[in-house]
Amino acid sequence: MRQYAYFPGCSLEKIGLSYNISTQETAKKLGIELKELEDWNCCGATAYAHVDELLAYTLCARNIAIAERENLDLVAPCSACYKNTFFTNQYLKKDPDMADHINYALEEDDLHFSGSISIRNLLEVFTEDVGLEEISDSVSQPLKDLRVAPYYGCQILRPKKDGEEIEQPDFFENLLSAVGAEPVDFALKTRCCGGSLLISSREAALSMIHNLLKNAEDSGAAVIATACPLCQLNLECYQNQVNQEYGTNFSIPVVYFTQLLGLAFGIPNKRLGIGSELIAATPLASFAKK
Amino acid sequence: MSEKVGVYICHCGSNIAGVVDVEEVAKWAGEDLNNVTVSREYKFMCSSLGQELIEDDIKNEGLTRVVVGACSPHLHEKTFRRACSNAGMNPYLCQMASLREQVSWVVEDKEVATQKAKAMIAGAVERVQYHEELEPTEVPVNPHTLVVGGGIAGIQASLELADAGHPVYLVEREPSIGGHMAQFDKTFPTLDCAACILTPKMSDVGAHPNITLLSYSEVEEVTGFVGNFHARIKKKAKYVDEELCTGCGICIEKCPKKIIDHVFEVGMGYRKSIDRPFPQAVPNYPVIDTASCTYFDTGKCKACEIFCPTEAIDFEQQDTYLDVDVGNIILATGYDLFDVNRMPQYGYGRLENVFTSLEFERLCNASGPTDGKIVLRDGVTEPESVVIVHCVGSRDEHHNSYCSSVCCMSALKFGHLVIEKTDAKVYSCYIDMRTNQKGYEEFYNRLLEEGMQFVRGKVAEITDAARIPEEENKLIVQVEDTLLGIQRRIPVDMVILMSALEPRSDAGEVGLQFGISCSMEGWFTERHPKLDPVATMTDGIFIAGAAQGPKDIPATVAQGAAASARVQGMITTGVVEIEPVVATITEDMCSGCRICNTLCPFNAIEYLEDKEVSYINTALCKGCGTCVAACPASAITGAHYNNEQIFAELRGLLFDVTSGNGAKAPKEAPEPVSV
Amino acid sequence: MTKPSFREEVANLLHAAKGSPLSACIQCGTCSGTCPAVEFMDHTPRRMIGMILADYKDEVLASNTFWYCASCFHCTVRCPSEIDIAETMYALKRYSIWKHEYQEGLLGPNFSETFVKTIFRSGRSYEPVMATTYLFSANVKELIQEASMATNLMLKGRLPVLPPKIKRLENFKRMINRVIPLGGLS
Repeated sequence: MRQYAYFPGCSLEKIGLSYNISTQETAKKLGIELKELEDWNCCGATAYAHVDELLAYTLCARNIAIAERENLDLVAPCSACYKNTFFTNQYLKKDPDMADHINYALEEDDLHFSGSISIRNLLEVFTEDVGLEEISDSVSQPLKDLRVAPYYGCQILRPKKDGEEIEQPDFFENLLSAVGAEPVDFALKTRCCGGSLLISSREAALSMIHNLLKNAEDSGAAVIATACPLCQLNLECYQNQVNQEYGTNFSIPVVYFTQLLGLAFGIPNKRLGIGSELIAATPLASFAKK
Repeated sequence: MSEKVGVYICHCGSNIAGVVDVEEVAKWAGEDLNNVTVSREYKFMCSSLGQELIEDDIKNEGLTRVVVGACSPHLHEKTFRRACSNAGMNPYLCQMASLREQVSWVVEDKEVATQKAKAMIAGAVERVQYHEELEPTEVPVNPHTLVVGGGIAGIQASLELADAGHPVYLVEREPSIGGHMAQFDKTFPTLDCAACILTPKMSDVGAHPNITLLSYSEVEEVTGFVGNFHARIKKKAKYVDEELCTGCGICIEKCPKKIIDHVFEVGMGYRKSIDRPFPQAVPNYPVIDTASCTYFDTGKCKACEIFCPTEAIDFEQQDTYLDVDVGNIILATGYDLFDVNRMPQYGYGRLENVFTSLEFERLCNASGPTDGKIVLRDGVTEPESVVIVHCVGSRDEHHNSYCSSVCCMSALKFGHLVIEKTDAKVYSCYIDMRTNQKGYEEFYNRLLEEGMQFVRGKVAEITDAARIPEEENKLIVQVEDTLLGIQRRIPVDMVILMSALEPRSDAGEVGLQFGISCSMEGWFTERHPKLDPVATMTDGIFIAGAAQGPKDIPATVAQGAAASARVQGMITTGVVEIEPVVATITEDMCSGCRICNTLCPFNAIEYLEDKEVSYINTALCKGCGTCVAACPASAITGAHYNNEQIFAELRGLLFDVTSGNGAKAPKEAPEPVSV
Repeated sequence: MTKPSFREEVANLLHAAKGSPLSACIQCGTCSGTCPAVEFMDHTPRRMIGMILADYKDEVLASNTFWYCASCFHCTVRCPSEIDIAETMYALKRYSIWKHEYQEGLLGPNFSETFVKTIFRSGRSYEPVMATTYLFSANVKELIQEASMATNLMLKGRLPVLPPKIKRLENFKRMINRVIPLGGLS
């Protein structure tokens, strides 16, 4: 029974609730136990690092220290949570002086960072730890002819961690193929959605979202699959505003890859949060468990 | 044994004198060291006046030993040894102390430096009194030369040697000589047709009585030493009898099997199973590619054999081996191109009409896959716009930090060809324009006049994700025009990637085989980057051309000629002096344990079965001392580094902590610690 | 003691990137060519690095470039001199918030500070609080668009109503106070 410390992150509580529940459902189906981090705090997203580097590390270090108590690797479905936590972990392991400074702070909550666990993102847990074969075996309802645009986004790929392929990765496509779907050649699959730029520098973010939506449509996708709640929010909920700004009429549903997996595993819509989208995920209707 | 030692301390301008108190050291050496007859300091010992000081003192003062405290022996050991021998003293009775590299350049504190300098001079003075007169040995130089690699560097070297009357073995891995230059269309800056200037030389090589051309061959093994190398060459089976083949080409015509030519045509064109790389191949014998040949697969066909008018096809042919003895070897093995798949953001492979530089050369070449027409991958459509991307894989910490030297000029050349052959608009996206040789800047100006467009910025990516109608179905080149300070998206039909030049993938193994080393990037290491670019640290092995580092054709030809000139010098002299700093085994003391045999890094020690002792080949021995230290019977002596000499040097170095031969009293021993 | 140059000040705010070798920049423009938000920046990222190296501090701080950075890190992974440009943008944000020196009319600084305060108060972030940032911008059309989207999200049950809090909030606050920030925190 694979176990992980589960760090849902602030967005998965409400805005990305369907990501949260579909993750837990699919994990259960694949024999993965996700133990939610006890009393986790916000990872700081991008904004915290705008103010102070050290404080930003402290936030993530607290979460890592909590997971270390359970002696489990930490998995974060949200790409921003993953990136912040991963690099805090990596940096503090390399710089013991900084780790000391932060451990001094963590003492106030009886916590200690030692760098004993790994930080994983959800896609790699599925594709590497579980493996595509086991996933294929669990499929009862292959998503035949469903053309999906695999949207990696930026934070699970960059910055580089090792020597991995980050310009043209293919693990997301492989995962989609493993559940019978048809991943399309989505050229902008690793481009940024704008993230929190939507609030602070709106026109830039809208322009980025517009390019992504256009390319997804041009690639012939029926639905866009994401792995990050902020990407989902930006791509789905702002389609309306993109249309107003650019005179387009996009109406592409944006779902979480775990929802697609759940569908393929035969889990009913309600338990996957399908139905809570602003743009109805009609292409998924035919696969819904009756 | 009372020697008369002359001590000379060099100031080396302020290099040594700025840190070490040279007057003090010279004075101290004269007063405090044993047997020092003369002790001087001088601004530049290596100058002719400095050398004269030594020579005069030897003659007038009757010196029997000389110590020079100056720079590193690497630089001037020869100089001072020569000064000694000019004055009639055996050059090995001279010892240098490196007061610059080992003292003034590494020690900051002046007092400490001066003390260290004294120690080193004391060491040298002690040691030199145990030096022996040594004479170098002479070995003859075999007048044959082995040239490995038949590109323009190897061709030039071979022709110059052969024209001078010396016999050459030219070994080339491919079925024909010509190298990468044979694949090009035009060459910069003259826009000479590559084949037109290359083929006369190739033809000369093929016809030259002094050149034994061994094509489709590789060197298997090399042994020996300068002047006396032995090489075993594997001549791969061509399945064509060279004695009978007339080069008529009927076999190629009749061969039913067509495959993609990944080598010469870089995957752009086809070849038959039996074929030659290009029409002007030298030698002109075709070669059968057994991997694709129907006969070798199923035993059927044999069309070539059936139609050959001279019965030259021989399916039973085997690889043969040729053993040659040569005096010198020139390695001119060339370069490989950077694999652009390592930069997926440029879309090679994923986006159809992204080409590498070599692919584009083949397009332009009149005997290439499109008869010289510049067209897209469909083989038909002419591009209306082309972007040339500079520095793909060069000047990039992720791949190669160096600049590949030739791509800027090549890019201009491509621009010119596009303008000449099509109506397309052509852009160059560059970081810097490196056009620094004769006629190169003028070539850049010419392209400016011809209307080539230049965008200063390294291309970030090539994409097909169109944003506006003008970008649909185009390759979009996204780049910052740094001179304007804006990001531009340039929609084009064709992209050419100027791939970096890289060392051959097997350069490391080849280096190891010949006993030379490679730099960190993989280029063969020259003896000195500025003053000796074609020699290596291994005597008798030379390098030339792109194998030493990326360079254009003029520089390659110059290096090929330079290497051949060095070899010609060796052949004319006829003999080579071997340094006498070698190890010798005292036969009586050798027990035949053979521990030294495997330890020798130069394979210089052999075991004599009949005498049951080991024997050192003095020509191969480099005097490293490994065997001397390893021999359990102390049966091996290292000339010029024997025990007496080394202990004497130690005594001198420790002058201020041992009694005698020094000014200071020994230091007090530290209090013993109770455990 | 000489005053540090601007590039040294920036390097001091780049702990993890070890000061990032800004001086290795060959001004090739790969970063700006890659940047998805560059059209909205008054200076391209490459030019920003050039300006930092040339000590053009006031011009840098008056620019909107780093506030338009989405931190997608694409520039960083492609830079042939291995400079961490995205992290440098972070350092400039930190510097400019610390010194309260930034271009007028930018929403970024205010948003970041609000976000941080929310976390400080509760240990979690709370999206509706972000709406207050819009109250500072006079753009009515945007406010209406946001309100409309927020309503839709609420109808789908996706908008948090009550601000969440972590349990050990007091410990958390003391923990934050124990960290001495590299810059300043108002």
